[in-house]
Amino acid sequence: MNVTLNNVTISYNRHPAVHHISGTFERGSLTAIAGPNGAGKSTLLKAIAGILQPQEGSIQINGKLAYLPQASEMQRDFPLSVLHMVLTGLWQQTGGMKAITKAMKERASIALTEVGLKGFEKRDLASLSTGQFQRALFARLLVQDADIMLLDEPFNAIDEHTVSLLMDIMLRWHEEKRTIICVLHDFTQIRAYFPQTLLLARECIAWDSTEKALHPEKLATTRFFRDDWNSNVSICERAI
Amino acid sequence: MKFSWIAASLTLLAMTASPAYADKLKVIASFSILGDMVHQVAGDNIDLKILVGADGDTHVYEPTPGDAKTVSAADLVIVNGFGFEGWMDRLIAASGYKGPVIAATKGIEPLHFEGTLNPDPHAWQSLANGKIYIANIRDALMQADKAHAADYRRNAEHYLKQIDALDRQVMSDMGAIPENKRKVISTHDAFQYFAQEYHVTFIAPQGINPEANVSAGDMAGLIDEIRKQHIHALFFENISDSRLMKQLESETGAHIGGTLYSDALSPPDGPASSYLALFAHNAAELTKGMMYNQ
Amino acid sequence: MTLYEYAFQPFADYLFMRRALVACTALAIGGAPLGVFLVLRRMALVGDAMSHAILPGASIAFLFFGLSVWPMTLGGLVAGLAVAAMAGAITQFTQLKEDASFTGAYLLSLAIGVLIISLHGNSIDLMHILFGNVLAVDNHSLILVSGVATLSTFVLAIIYRSLVIECFDPGFMRSQHGKSGLLHQLFLVLVVLNLVAAFQTLGTMMAMGVMVLPAIAARFWTQNIDIAMPLAIIFAFASAFTGLLLSYHYALPSGPAIVITAGILYLVSVFFGRHGSIASRFFPRKHYEV
Repeated sequence: MNVTLNNVTISYNRHPAVHHISGTFERGSLTAIAGPNGAGKSTLLKAIAGILQPQEGSIQINGKLAYLPQASEMQRDFPLSVLHMVLTGLWQQTGGMKAITKAMKERASIALTEVGLKGFEKRDLASLSTGQFQRALFARLLVQDADIMLLDEPFNAIDEHTVSLLMDIMLRWHEEKRTIICVLHDFTQIRAYFPQTLLLARECIAWDSTEKALHPEKLATTRFFRDDWNSNVSICERAI
Repeated sequence: MKFSWIAASLTLLAMTASPAYADKLKVIASFSILGDMVHQVAGDNIDLKILVGADGDTHVYEPTPGDAKTVSAADLVIVNGFGFEGWMDRLIAASGYKGPVIAATKGIEPLHFEGTLNPDPHAWQSLANGKIYIANIRDALMQADKAHAADYRRNAEHYLKQIDALDRQVMSDMGAIPENKRKVISTHDAFQYFAQEYHVTFIAPQGINPEANVSAGDMAGLIDEIRKQHIHALFFENISDSRLMKQLESETGAHIGGTLYSDALSPPDGPASSYLALFAHNAAELTKGMMYNQ
Repeated sequence: MTLYEYAFQPFADYLFMRRALVACTALAIGGAPLGVFLVLRRMALVGDAMSHAILPGASIAFLFFGLSVWPMTLGGLVAGLAVAAMAGAITQFTQLKEDASFTGAYLLSLAIGVLIISLHGNSIDLMHILFGNVLAVDNHSLILVSGVATLSTFVLAIIYRSLVIECFDPGFMRSQHGKSGLLHQLFLVLVVLNLVAAFQTLGTMMAMGVMVLPAIAARFWTQNIDIAMPLAIIFAFASAFTGLLLSYHYALPSGPAIVITAGILYLVSVFFGRHGSIASRFFPRKHYEV
């Protein structure tokens, strides 16, 4: 139930968004991935999820994986009902063909209630606000019942009350010894709930307990991170 | 010495008189039917090139660069006229040809497409017109190649006799069918001249333009007409029209006749490899078809 | 004229009317659901491209079998499948999105087709052979289009859920190892089959008109894909039925009559549909309580 990164580099057009990252997310860990904008956090998460391919290095995954994308990346007006969208999370069990049982619909309903969307089953996706859409995606993640949970900015556009609702769910997963990796940019939230942090600015600045990783010294390093493509760079000669 | 002089001059004389060294008249005919007519009149006296060959569709023909080259070297260009070769003007301009362009339909009063001012180019479908074609071709050849004028006159006369004979044959065959039974249904409306000459009624579900869409109402009307008039002779022009014909066949029990050749000769091994063969074939098929009309 | 005389007698009286309706129904059942997916995947113009893409297959078949409908249709089908396969593979393994990869593939195919024809030197318009006429549906075409509709519906039923998920969230499919590439290919195969069968039976304009226009119209009436599917089929059938009657009673050309009917339905949906239409924008319905 862990994820191991071996010298992972992910580039867009040969410019690395994630540069030579190695390390392990241990089983049962609750890790936040933090860093400035454009630091490669979402990219790394997508690579772990299997959506992007690393140009160099490899990612080893032991266990079932579930990924929560940002609501802004999704087709918000797709003609599906909320219940159906959440039910797709049961893909591993239903595949393309098996019937959706009453029990499954129950599970999906419960998940919706847990994320604060009780009664939203029959609503169209198109009628949801960004926050509601985000929560519906969270419900899908819930029913997936995976060992490894990847979440990309799950609290965007969500009010404080719901944040604590969702955080409760995550802490429950943590107790169930699931591995959780969560991209966040709110340090308060990270410091409050996440024991581990990977501080990323294309390269690994720190990967440690949150206290150590978010130490002012380390944070200062990231301030020199430039979120632009430098056109005068040379080829990376690092071997590691 | 004298002997060698005589030998040399005789050889020179022979060379200039030999047809192998004389330049044959280079003639271009726009399409296969016309080409055959030109060939019948000219025989081996000319170098003949036909632009749109057997089975070709002259309406939509697109000239190639090779065609431009051929035309630029020609001495005489013979076309049908009546708007049949819409691409010819551009081709001639592109090739830089400055010689005579003869329309074989000169002197023929054209029929028009129904309800329009556009002339129907298929004038060769009447043998009477065919004779005018031959006359125009003969005159053009005689004008361009005075050396062989006698040949052309003689060939044309011979050919005209053949046309007359065929005409009499067709008239008699058609005459054997009572006028009220002389009806066929054909998708190709290119037989207007034939229809007029031999008093045959061609009923067409579509105009010459195969792109034209039929309406269900027209189709139903046609079926009613067939049933009412007991027409059982169907002829189609190309495969896309054959679908409509086959549908009519299965709905009314009418009979699909053989292929009619309207715009081009068939390949040499086919039944319409020359103008006369084409005409005789068409007439025979039409006659056969009309026998099915009760 | 009674309703029966107006709406049903023409079909009772004439075989060609019945055949036309059956062919259109088959296309509606097989093709309209695919049309819904095409619209969702922003591939609505693929039908037009496909009518050109099948050219090299038809030309090669023509070289071997002459002007014969069935070999040429088969050749066209093979070419269409090849283009779909190539486009699908490029989408999957390169950075190119579906619309660009498809355009590249079909243009290449079309150019090859034109080259083959001009090398052979014949100016016969080949494509006419391939494209049928709704009023001239013979038994073979009927069997073809019905067979394709049956196969298509069957396959679509199997891959329906997977396809919906893959349309909505391809990343999800990829992370769940859902073989999204294979799925996409299978979908394209169904599209090509339906298109070629429809071309052969009904012609290009009608094929695309009946497949895509009703699907677009359906989008304005429901936000639920499970309802959009049968709704598109109903719209397609209604367009065919009405169009045929208009063509019968008012002597309008059949193909355009059907497609224009579908088009009018589309425009009505654009203006007065329940969801996302012009009416809903300028005359919104009352909102709910909180």
